[in-house]
Amino acid sequence: MSQTKNTSNLLWGATALGALGVLGAYAAAGPERFWANWILWFVLLFTLGLGSLFIVALEHLVSAKWSVPVRRIPERLATLLIPAVPVGLIALAAIPVLYPGARPEAAHHPLLAGKAFWLSLPFFSARTIVALALCLLGLWVLVGGSLKQDATKDPAFNFRARKFAPAFMAIFALVITLIAFDWLSGLTPEWYSDIFGVYVFAGAFLSGLATTALCVLHLQDEGRLEGVKGDHLYNLGGFLFAFTVFWSYIGFAQYMLMWYANLPDEVIWYKVRLAGSWRLITLALAGLHFVLPFFALVTRDSKKDPRRLRRVAFLMLGAHVLDVYWLIFPILGASPRFSWPELSFALFFLGGILLWIRGAMQKGEDMPVGDPFLREGLEFRL
Amino acid sequence: MPETSYSVLGVFETPDALMQAILKVRASKLGTVEAYTPYAIHGIDEALGLRRSPLGGMVLVMGILGALTAFGFQYWISAIDYPIITGGKGAGSWEAFIPIMFEVTVLFATFTAGLGMLHLLNKLPFFGHPVLSSKSIKGITRDRYVLALEAENEAFDSEAAAKTLRDAGAIEIETLPAPDRSPFLTSDYILRTLGGIFAACVVAGLGMYFATKWFPLLKPMANMQDQPRLNAQKASTFFKDGHGMQLPVPGTVARGYLPTATGTQEEAAALVNPLPRTKAVFATGRKVYTNRCEVCHGAVGNGVGSLTAAYGAKPANLQAQQFRDYPDGKIYWAIVNGKNAMPSHAPYLSEQERWAVVHYVRALQRAQNAKDEDLKVAAR
Repeated sequence: MSQTKNTSNLLWGATALGALGVLGAYAAAGPERFWANWILWFVLLFTLGLGSLFIVALEHLVSAKWSVPVRRIPERLATLLIPAVPVGLIALAAIPVLYPGARPEAAHHPLLAGKAFWLSLPFFSARTIVALALCLLGLWVLVGGSLKQDATKDPAFNFRARKFAPAFMAIFALVITLIAFDWLSGLTPEWYSDIFGVYVFAGAFLSGLATTALCVLHLQDEGRLEGVKGDHLYNLGGFLFAFTVFWSYIGFAQYMLMWYANLPDEVIWYKVRLAGSWRLITLALAGLHFVLPFFALVTRDSKKDPRRLRRVAFLMLGAHVLDVYWLIFPILGASPRFSWPELSFALFFLGGILLWIRGAMQKGEDMPVGDPFLREGLEFRL
Repeated sequence: MPETSYSVLGVFETPDALMQAILKVRASKLGTVEAYTPYAIHGIDEALGLRRSPLGGMVLVMGILGALTAFGFQYWISAIDYPIITGGKGAGSWEAFIPIMFEVTVLFATFTAGLGMLHLLNKLPFFGHPVLSSKSIKGITRDRYVLALEAENEAFDSEAAAKTLRDAGAIEIETLPAPDRSPFLTSDYILRTLGGIFAACVVAGLGMYFATKWFPLLKPMANMQDQPRLNAQKASTFFKDGHGMQLPVPGTVARGYLPTATGTQEEAAALVNPLPRTKAVFATGRKVYTNRCEVCHGAVGNGVGSLTAAYGAKPANLQAQQFRDYPDGKIYWAIVNGKNAMPSHAPYLSEQERWAVVHYVRALQRAQNAKDEDLKVAAR
């Protein structure tokens, strides 16, 4: 018990220390770098929450049974969308600083004039607020309903969720595309890519899956989640494996088409990422986000092996952070920025996210005990 | 029933009875234990002690081999054997290889999985497994669970096997003969197969011939052919002038044909030949000289070419002291701008070729005015 108290104190300390650094970063490192960091962590927090909610919705959509015993984990992780709302609202202050499309000069820019209204501060903010509200709606129906079912044991929730899931998928596609286009590709509004929303989705789903796998393994170590077996881990590992390949497929497809067409307004985005030190980061991203996890998970046993799965899940989370960093930070300059402001932000947000997850993991039941399919899910065998 | 029995089947009523019997039957060590069930039973692999199939490893290795094959093949074609610049991409652009590498990886992997499973691991093809013609097969495909003790060698004790199975709880026993593993690819079989393929080709060929003859306008898939695109040598409403083909934008320069601003010949004297004196450069120079210069300036550059006598022209004698004293830049200037009756060769020769010819002219001059030490160098 004292150990959990120590961990809790440590996390609070880290968050507080990070908060000091974050405040210092605004004063010392300038608003551009501060807001770039803020957006990085807003996107990470948001993709983790929404990716987890996607896992929950996917289960209801296809009536999956195997994932019922572990569903409470992504449900709890999806509640990260609640803190994502204030973080996202604060991030709106970054729009005039970092987003060229929202500045008054954009009206005279030959490429941006046509989309000036779309990129303007009021419409940009309105879209983000609508996106966050839609996420909370999904959270309320899918997660809130499931938590209520613990007590009521009412199977009506399953029917409701099954009906809501297809609608949520449409909402999800809209929300993640809006967030990806606005917050990430909006940093360079001359550049555009149709597939970019799917690319960000692949990263979001992976970060949700990797965190789910880590939490499942952690709870198993604590002796919770009784009945969750290697077969369940195998499915989580299989999804992780499949979506590393999916991410690479989308990422490469986007790159190859732009490379082939060689249009100046498209290749400039890759040109800055393939010059100087950014080239190394691009190569590292390909290695850490695809090659390494691919070969680590390619065999059948490795997807069941808790030690291997834990390492790969950590790797995928790290690679996802690097991915979003790689999407945002080239706007700050030709050399990648990484020093105390970035570390402070990492401390603050990681500490906060871990505290939130810890709190969520200690509340209520570890499994959806009211779900009529729980038994079937526990009996799942490959 | 033949004299040597191959396997003994024991029929069980429930999967649980089968699973419990497996351990006892395996312990008897009378032969290989095999199970036949209407559906997959969880945990039966471990109970039977089956080894992990090597198929996964085979597929991985062949998949990687497929990727490497596709990469090597494309690289060899586009960067080594026939380097040609298409779409403005350099030779050996790996980005363009990836989709084909992916396809060939999948091709190799699926063929390995299919053929490896059927032929290498299941030893197909052969004529019918005896279990398929047993009395128990109806039960196996419905609601019976069968455990088989199969012969590993000639001294298979079918009596003991039957007893072991009955003791383990089997409700029925059946003894089966060995599978017919007589040679599969007999000449008769090969002839029939080839005949069948030939007949299929004849039918398909005749069918296609008459189909295109009777329905000449039939276009099953016209999407690729009829698309709104620009065709070479065809009119188009897309451009104002109504032509499908357009002239290059004014000022367009092809790769390697960048014009050098040479100014006057005196100013060009300062230009330095950027090419190294390598075998390849001299070979290029020689080729260009033979194709473009030799008719007038002669094979050794003495101004006596095959056209000289025919037209009474007087091309420069490149061996004259005046031209031997010329700096490289002045020769280059003459190639680019032309001189006297000689026209400009800039449109025909790339930057590299022009400078290569300058080197070659230098070599001709030195060869015609060789010193003693040149002979020593040549002898070495």
